[in-house]
Amino acid sequence: MSWLRIRAVARRHAYVLQRAPQRWFDVIIWPVVDAVMFGAIGVYFARQSGAGAKGAGFLLAGILLFHVVFQAEVSLATGFMEETWSRNLLNLLVTPLREGEYVAGVVLFGLAKLALGVSTVALVALGLFAFNVTDIGLALVPIVGLLLVVGWAVGLIVIALILRVGQGAEILAWGLLAMLMPLSGIFYPVSALPGFLQPLGTALPTTHIFVAARTVLEGDALPWDELAIAAVGTAVLAVGALWFVVRMLAVFRSRGYISRHV
Amino acid sequence: MPSSAGDVLRARGLVKQYKRVRAVDGVDLTVGAGERVALLGPNGAGKTTTLLMLLGVVTPDEGWVEIAEHRLPRHRSAAAAHVGFAAGYLPLPERLRVREFLHLFGQLYGLHDPKPQIDAGLTRFGITHLADAMGNELSSGQRTLIGVVKAALHSPALLILDEPTASLDPDVALKVRTGLNRLCADNGTALLVTSHNMVEVERMCDRVVFISQGHVVADGRPGEVAARFGRDDLEGVFLHLAEEPQERRHERRRPRVRRRSGA
Repeated sequence: MSWLRIRAVARRHAYVLQRAPQRWFDVIIWPVVDAVMFGAIGVYFARQSGAGAKGAGFLLAGILLFHVVFQAEVSLATGFMEETWSRNLLNLLVTPLREGEYVAGVVLFGLAKLALGVSTVALVALGLFAFNVTDIGLALVPIVGLLLVVGWAVGLIVIALILRVGQGAEILAWGLLAMLMPLSGIFYPVSALPGFLQPLGTALPTTHIFVAARTVLEGDALPWDELAIAAVGTAVLAVGALWFVVRMLAVFRSRGYISRHV
Repeated sequence: MPSSAGDVLRARGLVKQYKRVRAVDGVDLTVGAGERVALLGPNGAGKTTTLLMLLGVVTPDEGWVEIAEHRLPRHRSAAAAHVGFAAGYLPLPERLRVREFLHLFGQLYGLHDPKPQIDAGLTRFGITHLADAMGNELSSGQRTLIGVVKAALHSPALLILDEPTASLDPDVALKVRTGLNRLCADNGTALLVTSHNMVEVERMCDRVVFISQGHVVADGRPGEVAARFGRDDLEGVFLHLAEEPQERRHERRRPRVRRRSGA
C-alpha cells in the first residue's frame, strides 16, 4: 500500500466536495432534516403519551447512529460513482493505483465527511432537543466502530454492483440503506416488525448494534452478548462484501465492461 | 522485431472473445526500448481491445502480457509504473483544475512532488497558460494535450496512445506530434499508438502493425508493409484491409438473396 497514492485519492475527493455544492446535501442538509424531523416526532409522541423525553432520545440516538452507516456508505459509493460520472475510471485503472489503495483513499476522505455529517446531527439534537449523544458514554466507541464497518461493507456491495451491471445500480447507494433502516429496527425492537420480516431483521448485524445502543440509553450496562453477535455478523458482512467486489472486478476486467465508462 | 533483451512490451497469443465477437484472436506484439510502433487497422479490428489488454484493464482469455519484465495481471501495479496512457476520447474530470489533475496523477505514478514534471510537460507542449483552467473549460484538442502530458509525467518507458489526434485540428495535431517526437527523443520513451491518420503514422513511427479481424496481418517498417500488400503507402494498405471484410460479408449475403428469389 502506498500512502502517497492513498493521500492523492483522498485529496481528489476533497476537491470534488469543495466544488460540487450538491454534495453538501448528503453531508449537512440531509442530517439536519433527519435530526429535526425525528426529534420533532419524538417530542410530539412523548407529549401525547406523557412518556417524557425518552421517546425523542431514542429516535434521535437511532437517527444519529444510522447516519454513521449512511455517511460511511454514501461517501464510499459516491466516491466511486464520481469516477464513473467524470469518466475517470480508465485513467485510474491504467495507473499503479491498487484497488485497496483506492478504497483506503476514499474511506480516508469519507471519515472527514462522516465527522461533519454526524457532528451536524449531534449538534442539532443537542441544540434543538437537548439530547446529548455522549450520554451513551464509552459504549459509543464499539457501537460506532461496528456501524462504520457495516457502512463500508454496504458501500463495497454497491460498487461491486455498479461494476457488474453499470450505472443503473447507482440508485442502490441510497436504496440499500432505505431497506436497511426499517429492517434494522433503528427506532424500535425487531419484534415490532411484521412477523415475516423479523427473521431478516434479526439476521442483520445493525439490528443488534441498535439494540445495544438502546439498552445503554435506558441506563443499563452495555449488552456484550448483543455486541458479540453484531461483531460476528459485521465480520461476515465485511468479508462477503470484499469477496463480492473482488469477484465483480474480475468479471469487469474479463468482460471488458470498461467500455461502459469511456 | 527487436530482441527480447531491449523489449519494454511483450505480448503473446492474446485472445479476447466477447459474447458473439472474437475481438482479438492470437495477437503477438513486441515493442523495443525507444521504438515507435503504430497499431493500425479498420474500425472493429481489435486495436482498442488489444491496448486495454496490454494495459491490464481487460483480462485476455488466452495469452500473456509483460511490461518492463513485469507479468500481468499479478504485477499490474509495478508494470503500470512503466507505462503512460492517453486517449483522444477521454475527458478530464470536471471538478479539477489542470494543475490539480496533473498533480493527482503524478502522485498516483509515484512522484512525491510532481511540480517540476508538470511544468516541464506543459512547456514541452506549449500549454503553460492552461495550468489553472478547469477541466470542463478546455477544448478537445487541449484535453488531448493535457492527457498526453499526464501520461508522460513519470517518464515512462512506454507511452500508449489510443487515437491521440482523432478529430483534432491540423495545428493541434501538429503540436501533439511535435511534443511526442521531442519527448521520445529526450527520454528514449517507446511509443505504441493507434491512429487512423496514415500520413501521421508514416511521419512518427518506425514500425507498423496492422490488425484485421483480431489478427496481426502485417508487421514491419511502413514502406515494407505497403510494398508487401502491393500498395504505394499505408493508406492503400488500410483501405485494402477495410474493404476486405465488406467483400466477404457481401459474398455471404448473396446465397440468401438467391434463395429468396428462387422461392
